[in-house]
Amino acid sequence: MDCELAQQKIALLAYGELPDDQCPALEGHLATCKRCQEEFAAVQALQQAMALAPAQEPSANLLAQARMRLEEALDTMPRTSWLMRVQQSMFRGVSMLGRAPVAASALLVLGLGAGSWGGFQYAARHHRPVAELSKAVEGTGKIASVNSIVPDPNSENVEVHFNRLVPETAHGSLDDPRIRELLVLGTQSQVNPGVAQNSVNLLARECEAGHQCADGPIRKALLVALRYDKDSGVRLNALKGLKPYVAEDMGVRDGVLEALLDDPDATVRSRAIELLHPVEADSSVRQVLHTVASQDDNPHIRTVSQEVLDQSPHIQ
Amino acid sequence: MAAQGSRIDDTLLIREAQRGNRAAFEELVRQYDQAVLRLALHLTGSESDAQDIFQDAFLKAYKNVGSFRFECSFYTWIYRIVTNLCLDHLRKRQVRKEDAHVATDSSGEEYDLLDRVADGRAGANPERDLMRRELGKRINHALDRLTPRERMVFELKHYHGLKLRTVGEILNTTEETAKNTLFRATRKLRANLAAIR
Repeated sequence: MDCELAQQKIALLAYGELPDDQCPALEGHLATCKRCQEEFAAVQALQQAMALAPAQEPSANLLAQARMRLEEALDTMPRTSWLMRVQQSMFRGVSMLGRAPVAASALLVLGLGAGSWGGFQYAARHHRPVAELSKAVEGTGKIASVNSIVPDPNSENVEVHFNRLVPETAHGSLDDPRIRELLVLGTQSQVNPGVAQNSVNLLARECEAGHQCADGPIRKALLVALRYDKDSGVRLNALKGLKPYVAEDMGVRDGVLEALLDDPDATVRSRAIELLHPVEADSSVRQVLHTVASQDDNPHIRTVSQEVLDQSPHIQ
Repeated sequence: MAAQGSRIDDTLLIREAQRGNRAAFEELVRQYDQAVLRLALHLTGSESDAQDIFQDAFLKAYKNVGSFRFECSFYTWIYRIVTNLCLDHLRKRQVRKEDAHVATDSSGEEYDLLDRVADGRAGANPERDLMRRELGKRINHALDRLTPRERMVFELKHYHGLKLRTVGEILNTTEETAKNTLFRATRKLRANLAAIR
């Protein structure tokens, strides 16, 4: 190990960020290098000096003042502004399509066609019988929103522009990227809890079986389910799916550690301990295991955590 | 072991806020506002600037909560907004070369930040207090000589105790870059504070 690298590691060690498995090499270097020993002492001195000047906490008055100002500012904002933004983002998406050359050409052709037939269409719409109009409204799919209403000044007729949600069905293999994309969307379903449950279960089973789960969205969806789903069964399944990635993906490891520390369900916490087996020598894992061994509400989990700590190689 | 409960509460609050429920948003604000104000106050050294950043950050969060996708925690998301605003502020201040440890209160009056740090330690005496303030001034000068990004990484790690992985996530960079930045920051601080060793 050269001195530059050792000195980087010294800074990390001072802030508790040096992995356990790198400590012996640094210790070995420090034992023989006087320059790095001085560096180590200097970093410790800096930390002691910095500890004498802690960050100022905001006063209660300042916090109250800031809260009041924020409330006043929020009062001046329109209540439905977020809805308007959703609409704006949809329109932005459409306008982005318009910027694409192919879409622009298509729009031009459509425009020309629409212009040629405009007069005929206009007349036809205004003389549409009531029965035909009702039929249009009764078409398949729920009406999602009404975009605009144009009353005809010379009659009782109105022209209503609306969007319709058309239900579709997709059938295919779980390895089909389109099906996977739908399942990832399904994990976020708020309408029917069964959809989220099935989606997580199927994706987790695919990952567990090693079927091309190396891409980000599926792991991310499982992590979101592990962190936020209210159903402990779903969280357990998400854990199963994440199991193959605990060793290689730090994000997954963090998610499992969070579950071990915070999940309200003892079965989920217990399963999280099992998953950590390949990385139980890691410093952050050991730190969490120490916490769980001393603080978990469940005596069985405390005992198992302590056993894992006792059995794993102790690197300091 | 109640944090998971609070995370689920956060999720519910975020979903409610996304539906336009202002009370839910205000509840989220209450959970993070002290940490946000503390970060802004320490970085700007000005109560008025800290209040401005505080307000801009939460208004921005309110406007954009509809696009929050639960891919990170709300904590990381709000910190990302605040750190961006603070970085802008630090960059502007670097151009103006202001004296950061001299702060201004909400009435516009200048004071030394360290004069307001209460010394609650038993046996504190005026002489030791004076020395501590002198040291604090030098530390603030040394912090001011860091680049805005070095200052931010150091602030989040040293004063807020965040993991470098989280710091990287907040600053849209890698953990490795955050490590290198922290190393540079500590090295510069040591050089600037060499005399006190």
